[in-house]
Amino acid sequence: MQHHTRTVVSVVCRIAICFCALFLMVGYLMVQPSAGDSKGAKRVSASSIQIEPTDPGDTPIPPDFRISIYENLIMQIEKTGKFQHVYRSGDKDAANAPDLVTLRTTAQSFTQGSQKKREVTTVMGATSLTLKVRITDHAGQTIVDRDVQGKVRFMGENLGATYDFSKKVAKIVRDTF
Amino acid sequence: MRMQNLIVDVPVATNSRRATRPRAWVRGLFLLLVGAPLMFSPVLAHGQAAATPSAAPSVVQTDVKLVMGGVTVKNNSLGTLSVVGSSLQFATAKTKVEVEASSILDISTNEDSRQDITGVAHLATAAIPYGGGRVLSLFSHKVDVLTVEFKDANGGYHGAVLVLPQGQAASFKKQLVAMGAKASHPLAEDAPANK
Repeated sequence: MQHHTRTVVSVVCRIAICFCALFLMVGYLMVQPSAGDSKGAKRVSASSIQIEPTDPGDTPIPPDFRISIYENLIMQIEKTGKFQHVYRSGDKDAANAPDLVTLRTTAQSFTQGSQKKREVTTVMGATSLTLKVRITDHAGQTIVDRDVQGKVRFMGENLGATYDFSKKVAKIVRDTF
Repeated sequence: MRMQNLIVDVPVATNSRRATRPRAWVRGLFLLLVGAPLMFSPVLAHGQAAATPSAAPSVVQTDVKLVMGGVTVKNNSLGTLSVVGSSLQFATAKTKVEVEASSILDISTNEDSRQDITGVAHLATAAIPYGGGRVLSLFSHKVDVLTVEFKDANGGYHGAVLVLPQGQAASFKKQLVAMGAKASHPLAEDAPANK
């Protein structure tokens, strides 16, 4: 009887180990393609980037939001560590950079929410902004052309949407360069 | 008799003139010495003001929050904003940042579309139990937001967002525009006059 129980336990253990191994295999295979993609994706090399001020276009985006987008972008792009130099618009030194890429943002839509509404209702008053993000190389060839949205939904200041936006742009930069 | 008197009087008069000549000369010299500095004193005062622009700030505001763009000053720092000489200065206890009025590309206030930006106050109210902070935050404190776009010595574009007590931003804008700062939107009080 005792021997029989031991056999059952050992069989169960073996099955459990097999399942674990199977899960690990499946997990590994699921992760592998994405890793392969990132390795296989064509990454652009550039030592410096210049960031242009946000073009409001026809969107009535307040100046504090425009400035906040710009300053947050500078900060987040610097944080990526992908470039030796992050130049501001108009910086004279950028002219000497050999493989300079330029980041331009154009406002597409803007909804200024309310911090009060967010805090009171937690569902209303979200601030949202969508901007077209274009990164071009020295010759003007487009490297990135995407619409990126920044939002602040529940808690936080309205300007938090610009932080969210710049974090997303920094991720695109990390994936591209 | 009259003639005699006259004859007598004339030398006396000439003598007295001779006697008073040195006195008048001394008086003139004295007046010149005392008067000349007084005459030139306003010119000197103006000259001093022009030579030392960092004399006395013309517009000062304490408890200003630099939300971002302070270059050497950390974001969300509290400090004193002032117009000193021909530049805008934001100073904290540790450091300061100065922007020349002539290097300001655009300056604007949000008098019309005010918004609540709560920093330390928000955290303080959030700490109140049973959602008391939320109730408190309904009593919004209205603020002025001053945005300054400027270029650095290398030509690089910068932007700074400052939060001031209500009704204080316009005076800074007015002062800086008078000193050569550019503003894409006219001053609030100038707008009706232009219409």
